[in-house]
Amino acid sequence: MSLGPASLSPGQLWHDLLAGPAAHNPDSIIFWQIRMPRVVLAFVVGAALAVAGVILQDLFLNPLTDPYVTGVSSGAALGATVAIVLGLAGGLLLTGLALVGGLATLLLVWTAARRRGRIDVYVLLLAGVTASYLLSAVITVVMIHANDDLGAILYWLLGSFSGRTWTDVETALIAVPFMAVPLFFTKEMNILLQGEKRALELGVDVERTKVVLVVTAAVLTAIAVSVSGIIAFVGLIIPHLVRLLVGPSHRRLLPISLLMGAALLSVADLLARTLVAPAEIPVGVVTTFIGAPVFVYLLRRGRRA
Amino acid sequence: MSGAPDRRPADAAPDATPLVEVREASFAYDPERPVIKRVSFALERGDFVGVVGPNGSGKSTLLDLIDGLLAPAEGAVLVNGRPTREYRRRDMAREIALVPQHFALEFDLTVRDVVEMGAYCRGSECSPASVAETALGRLGIAALAERRFPELSGGEKQMAVLAQALVQNAGVLLLDEPASSLDVSHQLALFELLRELNGEGLTVVCVLHDLNLALTYFTRLLVLSRGGVAAWGPTEEALSPEVLEAVYGVRAHLHRHAGRTFLTFSPQRAAGGHARGRVHLVCGGGTGSSLMRELSDRGYDVSAGVLNALDSDEVTGRELDLPMAVEAPFAPIGDDAHDENLRLLAGADLVVLTDVPLGRGNARNLEAVRAALARGARVWVLEGLLGQDRTGAAASLRDTAARFVADETALLAALDEEPRQAAT
Repeated sequence: MSLGPASLSPGQLWHDLLAGPAAHNPDSIIFWQIRMPRVVLAFVVGAALAVAGVILQDLFLNPLTDPYVTGVSSGAALGATVAIVLGLAGGLLLTGLALVGGLATLLLVWTAARRRGRIDVYVLLLAGVTASYLLSAVITVVMIHANDDLGAILYWLLGSFSGRTWTDVETALIAVPFMAVPLFFTKEMNILLQGEKRALELGVDVERTKVVLVVTAAVLTAIAVSVSGIIAFVGLIIPHLVRLLVGPSHRRLLPISLLMGAALLSVADLLARTLVAPAEIPVGVVTTFIGAPVFVYLLRRGRRA
Repeated sequence: MSGAPDRRPADAAPDATPLVEVREASFAYDPERPVIKRVSFALERGDFVGVVGPNGSGKSTLLDLIDGLLAPAEGAVLVNGRPTREYRRRDMAREIALVPQHFALEFDLTVRDVVEMGAYCRGSECSPASVAETALGRLGIAALAERRFPELSGGEKQMAVLAQALVQNAGVLLLDEPASSLDVSHQLALFELLRELNGEGLTVVCVLHDLNLALTYFTRLLVLSRGGVAAWGPTEEALSPEVLEAVYGVRAHLHRHAGRTFLTFSPQRAAGGHARGRVHLVCGGGTGSSLMRELSDRGYDVSAGVLNALDSDEVTGRELDLPMAVEAPFAPIGDDAHDENLRLLAGADLVVLTDVPLGRGNARNLEAVRAALARGARVWVLEGLLGQDRTGAAASLRDTAARFVADETALLAALDEEPRQAAT
């Protein structure tokens, strides 16, 4: 929190923290209005994406799944793009439209996958990927007609925490109770690793569990995307990384993924704003740069001993 | 939910409710092709039931119906008198445990983790760790507890999943071909264990392919054929040769030997039945038994004579339902049996004289063979005969048209080399 284009010493940091927000002290303003919301946001978004990633990978029994395959992120991105074109960039409306876009996409994909009262996870996956492509195409069309806002849209799509305010943090904090939801379903999630049929045989109310978990993952994703754009790799890599470290049992996998996601994104954002200061690298680029080599290393090292 | 008791006939006592009742149940994934057709049966507490039937006869689907994973399209499936569709999954898992045929888990959970999952349906009434420990010990796989499940062999996985099911502590255990990935010693160990569990009050329903295992272990059998019940009842009645021929399209032979009952099978006679001609065996003392089977299996019509009743060849022939000339036990061949033998010989395309010990009692068989030779019939003789001959008469066969063959194997090989119709 001390590092950034304008350095604050640890002592200064401590002082600002204890003193609380002060209107006329530039250091305090940097700390409270720029750094603090940013770090909190990175923390919450990282946690949300990691938890959503764990849920979806296990529900689909597909290690390539990440929070973006449900199409929710593309829906949210479209909402945000529309907001930017309408000149609402940076406002609460952008976040609102992104959320609406994400949840509307979920509803659509959900309806497609629902047959005879059951959710077919494969159809859900395929419908989600299809919706992703379709919505991306729509976003491209919108961008072609939005010469002026092109830069803003592109930057938003790449994912960034720059210029985020406490308003964004408040939106992001909605995600916190949703992150807690899967912690109440760790047993069910473990059993579901054996497939839906076996879970039914062992007494799990599979449909209810799926509904709760998919909606939770979608809400987490929509909230994350709505405040920070599309940040790649966290939701895909963190669950794998943590599984390699502590195994697939959800009692440890979920909370540790949550913390690792938060930590990874905080560090990534730190690098994003300091490496080429005073300019910024999109944080999604940084996560990919950190995540890819670490992941390949862990895969090569093999399973946990 | 409270409606269930009303469905019972008024005169039935409450404790007469079967544990599981399948009532005229039908099921189809695709309406064009029903998988289960109007199946009815009931399980009592403590039943030990095997379910057999050809591939695709609906066995696995039936288990899924009993467990409530599938709902019957028509009819009803009742557990404790209550329709399965009224059960919440957790409550059903407390009544019925299922060991599926296929089990996929790619994630690196330990065997202990997997077994503990069985305790899910029991909520907080037990400690998953301790019931898992008990089940692992019971199945003799405590040493596997810390191993990663995906790295187990097929048989070890099978045992781990059985342990998982036992942890459910349900009153009914359904198993779908549990023996398919086990070697013979583990198969027997598994069925002994099931019998033991059954003795402790567990109701067991087991789908299996091996009819001899079914015959050995289960007290009642349900035979399914094309989705319907072909037979349902005490094991030996349900597995009668007639049922097996109708269901599997093979000839089945039920043997009783040394206190055990077992089945052997041979392909069904081709339609028309006489494609390969008729072979008459002159044998006895067990020298013809394997030829009877081999020749029948190859599609020949086989007859034999003269045999003494209860001679082991005569027993085999009776099991195979062959036409035979039979004399009373231990009696020398009388006129009636001899005449019958001549009649059978006359209709045969080939006569085979096995290495039967010839003595005074059966000397007339040699006489019958000579008569056939005189008629110009084809006669093959196993070389071993000469060593067994106490009458000294057989050696003279060397001077006849009879063809000497080294042994059974050579005989069958020679027959196989002949064009299909040569024997006629």
